[in-house]
Amino acid sequence: MSVATPYVEPAHHEHHELPYSEQLRNNRLGLWLFFTSEAFMFIGLLSSRFYLWGNTRPDLDQTLGLIVTSVLLVSSFFMNRAETAIAHDDRPEFLRSLLITAALGIAFLVGVVGFEWQGHIGPSDGAYGAVLFGMTGMHALHVVSGVIFILIVWNNGRKGSFSAERHWGVEACAIWWHYVDLVWVFFYPALYLMGHVVHG
Amino acid sequence: MEEKKKAAYRVGVIVLVVLFVLTIGEYFVAQIPGGVISVLFIIAIAKSWAIMKYFMHITSLWSEEGGH
Repeated sequence: MSVATPYVEPAHHEHHELPYSEQLRNNRLGLWLFFTSEAFMFIGLLSSRFYLWGNTRPDLDQTLGLIVTSVLLVSSFFMNRAETAIAHDDRPEFLRSLLITAALGIAFLVGVVGFEWQGHIGPSDGAYGAVLFGMTGMHALHVVSGVIFILIVWNNGRKGSFSAERHWGVEACAIWWHYVDLVWVFFYPALYLMGHVVHG
Repeated sequence: MEEKKKAAYRVGVIVLVVLFVLTIGEYFVAQIPGGVISVLFIIAIAKSWAIMKYFMHITSLWSEEGGH
């Protein structure tokens, strides 16, 4: 024998949506937790560099290393400028700074992939090649995703999707871009500066 | 409003200059033979702290204030 349970229509629709400030707090926490998980991968790559290279490094182009690092630092500055601009409803500066950031990101990629990867070390050149291409390749992949993210935010910003009060999309994009820069802050000295040069 | 915006832009410029100076410092420290790895790590940590605090606004994670 079964007992049918009659369906009771709720008296009112319950609203489960959190206030924006609460959502923002959760979003930020989620993004930083994601960064933490990503950090394990980058720390793994960094550890492999010290394990396999020890106190040595390949003969990389120092000028190129310094230029691409500077380009990425300047791109972070413009990303911060874009975020500051939208927080103050300065839409033209916001859009302009985003495009400059994307252009600098592409310039960084050209420097690493177009020049450094065309040097005398290939990905199959033992531990030096494997580590160099593993680290720069994984980082370059993140730069590519950052540039795509920036262009999506720029396109949405052009359509007026963000305001001074609500611009989580911009903030997330900015933090993501700075994270890519943060990783390079450790990769640059590890690849270009630490240890003595091994020629050949 | 305008003053606040200018102040915020100024912070960005100062952080960029500091990051540049530290990067150039790294480059020259690397030219000193032997025992520089720890110094390079300390500089990298200082740079990452500046990026996390001023560009990534890490303090907003535990800040009581809501909003941007």
